[in-house]
Parts: sequence; C-alpha cells; structure tokens
Amino acid sequence: MSSPAIEIKGLTKSYGNVHALNGVDIKINEGEFFGLLGPNGAGKTTTINILTGLVFRDKGSTEVFGKDTVNDYRFTRSKIGIAAQEFSVDWFFPIEKLLFFQAGYYGIRKKDAKPTIDKLLARLGLEKKKDARLRQLSGGMKRRFQLAKALVHDPDIIILDEPTAGVDVELRRDLWQYLRDLHSKGKTILLTTHYIEEAELLCENVAIIDEGKILKEGPPKILTQELGTAGISINIGNTNQKLDSYFSEYTYTIEKNRLHFSVKDPDKALPKIIKKLSEADIHINSIDSSRSSLEDVFLNLTGKGINE
Amino acid sequence: MNWVGFNTLILREVGRFFSVYRQTVLPGLITSGLYIAIFGFTLEQRISEIQGVPYTLFILPGLIMMNTLTNATSNTSSSMLQMKLLQQLPDLLTAPLSGFEISIAYIIGGAVRGMVNGVLVLLLGMALIGMPVKDPLGTIIFIFLVSWAFSSMGLLLGQLAESWDQLAMMQNFFLTPLSFLGGIFYSIKMLPEWAQTLSFINPIYYMINGIRYTILGVSDSPVSISYTMAIILTISFTMSSIFLMQSGKKIKQ
Repeated sequence: MSSPAIEIKGLTKSYGNVHALNGVDIKINEGEFFGLLGPNGAGKTTTINILTGLVFRDKGSTEVFGKDTVNDYRFTRSKIGIAAQEFSVDWFFPIEKLLFFQAGYYGIRKKDAKPTIDKLLARLGLEKKKDARLRQLSGGMKRRFQLAKALVHDPDIIILDEPTAGVDVELRRDLWQYLRDLHSKGKTILLTTHYIEEAELLCENVAIIDEGKILKEGPPKILTQELGTAGISINIGNTNQKLDSYFSEYTYTIEKNRLHFSVKDPDKALPKIIKKLSEADIHINSIDSSRSSLEDVFLNLTGKGINE
Repeated sequence: MNWVGFNTLILREVGRFFSVYRQTVLPGLITSGLYIAIFGFTLEQRISEIQGVPYTLFILPGLIMMNTLTNATSNTSSSMLQMKLLQQLPDLLTAPLSGFEISIAYIIGGAVRGMVNGVLVLLLGMALIGMPVKDPLGTIIFIFLVSWAFSSMGLLLGQLAESWDQLAMMQNFFLTPLSFLGGIFYSIKMLPEWAQTLSFINPIYYMINGIRYTILGVSDSPVSISYTMAIILTISFTMSSIFLMQSGKKIKQ
C-alpha cells in the first residue's frame, strides 16, 4: 500500500512557555480533500509551517509520501505547493516574473514553466495584470496570485491556509469551483479555514483542532451525525392522541399543532416519524427540517464558536 | 544541487538591484565624481602629493573600495531583511533549496553589485583623470574578493537584523567609520602612532591599501598581507553566513 500523502504523528511545538501543538496526529491519503478547522491560535498555521519547513518541530514526525520533511526536504517540498494566509510583498518585479521565479526555485526552467503560468494567469483572471506589480492588485487578485504561486510547479499536494479569507462571495465561489476541479484531477488538498461552510462543502475529511490538539477527525457528515443535532418540525392536524406511547424513544416537544423532534440523523429519523404519525392516525400538514452543521459539532467539542 | 533554483535566485538578486539602478548604481558614481571634482579642485592645492602620488589619484583606489564594499554589503543585507519583513522569505524557505544554495546565490547577487560599482568608479577615474592601473588583474581580483567578502557580511547582517533601524545602526556605526578610518583620504603615516596602531586592527585598511597597491603601486602595508586579509575575510564571512542560514536561526521559528 502506498504511503499517505501527509502523515503527522505526535507533533509538538512550543514557543517559550506557549504550547502551540500538543501531540497532533493527522493522516491525509493521496487525493483526499482535507480540512483543518480551528479558531485563531489553535495551531493550524504552525502545523502547516512545520510541514513546509518554516518552523522547527520539537517532537514527533512529519512525513510527505513516506519521507521525512526535514531529512528529505528536497523531495517533500517539491511535492507541496503552499498558498500562505499572509500576502508577500515584492515591489521589484511584475507578477508574471514572480511566477517564473517561483517555478525556478522548484527547478523548472523558464520555457517549461511558461505554458503552466499562462494557463494559471488565464484561469485565475490575472492575464491582464501580468505586467502589474503586486501592490497594484486588489485584495482578491492578491489572493488569486497566492494560489497561482502555489500551483506553478504542479504540486501533488496543495496546502491552502485560509484561501478565501477576505474575498467577496462571488470570488469565493469561483475559488471553491477551482479547488473542486483540482481535487477531481487527483490533487491532495489540505485546507485550513475559518469558514465552516467551506469545509462542509469541499472536504471529504476534517479535523477539528483547538489549543494544539486534534479533538475530532472524520467526514463532515459523520461528525455532524455523531455530534450534532438536527431538528424536524411537523405541523399536525389533530393532537388528541397520546403521543408518548408512539415517540418514547425520541426527544421532542409539542407546542399547539407543532411537533419538534431533535434527532441525530434527520434522513433516517424522518421516515420513521412519519410512519408513527400515520399509525397514530395523525394528519400531517407540513414538515420542516433543519440540518445539523459542523458549526454545532465545533461548538459541542470546543465550547466556543470558531471565530471566538 | 538544485541548479535551476540556484540560478533563478541569482537572477532575481541581480535583477533586483538593476531594476532600481538609480538607487543602487548611479549614486556611487555621482558621489565618486563629486569627490574627484571637489578634492581635485580644492584639496589638491594644499596636499599636492602623498607617497609621490597626486592627491586625487591617491584617494581614487579608496573610493573604489568604499563603493565596492558598501554596495556589496547593502545589497545582501537589505534584500535579506526586506525578504524577512515583507513575507517573501517563506517562498524561498518552502522551496527545495538548501541553506547553502540560498546563501551562495545571495552572496553572488551582492558580489555582482559590488563589482559593478567598483569597476564603474575605476572606469570613471580612468576617464576623468587618466588614472593608470599598474596591475589590472590584481585590481579586479581585489574588487572581486572584497565584493564577495562584504556581500557575505551583508548577508550575515541581514539575517541577524530584525528591523531597518538595527541594520542602519550596524552600517552607520561600524562599516562607514571603519571605511573612512581605513585610509581612503590619507596615508596612515600621517597619523600619530597610536592611531596608526589602531588602523592595523581595521580590516578595511588592508583592503584599501591592497587595491591602492594594485592600481598605483604604493601602499602603507605589504600587498601580501592585504591579499591574506581579503581571503580570510572572504572565507570567514562566507562560512558564517552559510552556517547561520543552514541553522535557520533568526529566519525560522
């Protein structure tokens, strides 16, 4: 069996007395779209920076396709493209030239890099700005440039640190679509985000990190089923029946003609509830359901919201 | 060895200073031209000759040296600090480049700037006052060694500094005084004995006298000592800057 794209075991890192990472374990398989969710200071960026060689690890191991990120740094770094959260500022060169430099650092000659750079500039809507300096770009364009820089050497693993922070809704959707396209081509993607919706929409697996520890890991749907609660509201026609005998195993409330159930998995629970209501000969006027989200899971696990 | 990455970084570093040649190339030429004009027209009437050489000619090798070493130092130091402060350094540190490759590429970038500036002042001296060059090869070797040594020192300073203020302090309080006290404008034989002794511990004194010997054939100290000093500085600054880069201190957390 081939090695995971990324495998982190027992990773610790302290800055003086501050323990940024307290034994982080993460495994990301090749081709997986993985999300690292956590509030500010949770350890997301430190984890990524250790993987890419910007920060020294204290203890533990970090491997990319089975190779150590310190001892085999040339191999592991060539496999990774990183779009950092913070914009770099270079006022000497136009952005196209900066992309050629970036490709060069990864051992790609100018003539070989040109087709990829042309394609990236076109796909990310930066073609007309290729001769502009970074300071002349808008925030959204800078964000797209960060992504272009990460992709210029066609890496197998793409690490995106808050890739849609500060961009408008339209651009965010466009970037999401682009990330989906990259994923469909087999790229492994590690995404850190504050936007829970982003992780729910894009990621096959997420890990929730807080205070330098992974609290829970799994597919968003499974996590929300395990740890979140959903609501099913049913407007009924008559309430003369004794409902407890039908719904003793459910958590529910009744208010006037509205029955409200709290369930783990609304997809499984709803048909059963409808069947029981039918057995009780209760007429259903309307059904409304609210799904649980990763936000509930996050709240349950950490006791706080992701932006707190 | 990542040769493409290494060459790319050299091209970036050289391209960087050429893209702002008004800041990095022209000022040294203008300042040196002014020195020649002012000293030629004024001081030479009072100090006609030093060691049998007209005063304006006497100071020119020192001006070449000062221009070479300040430009070489400031190229690497400011580029490195800029990279750190403007978040550009992660682009290099996350790429498959070794600390050795990054250091040498940076040093070459600074050395090219030092050489360009040094050679331009040399040519200016030859054009303006017909300066003879006794040993052209020795002069070029000297300009090269000093460019490399001080480019390495600049890289070291750039890695160590955490702000522009710190960098300016290192340059203004150490490099500039040492250059001026190294005998650009005078022979140390004109100084009191204690000041002469102090000059012997100033490495720039040997650099200035070395290049003065290769150009004019006069010097306060044997040229072999100047060559030895230049080689020692080159090796020690190069090794220290590479070691610091490889260790990641001051540039990684």
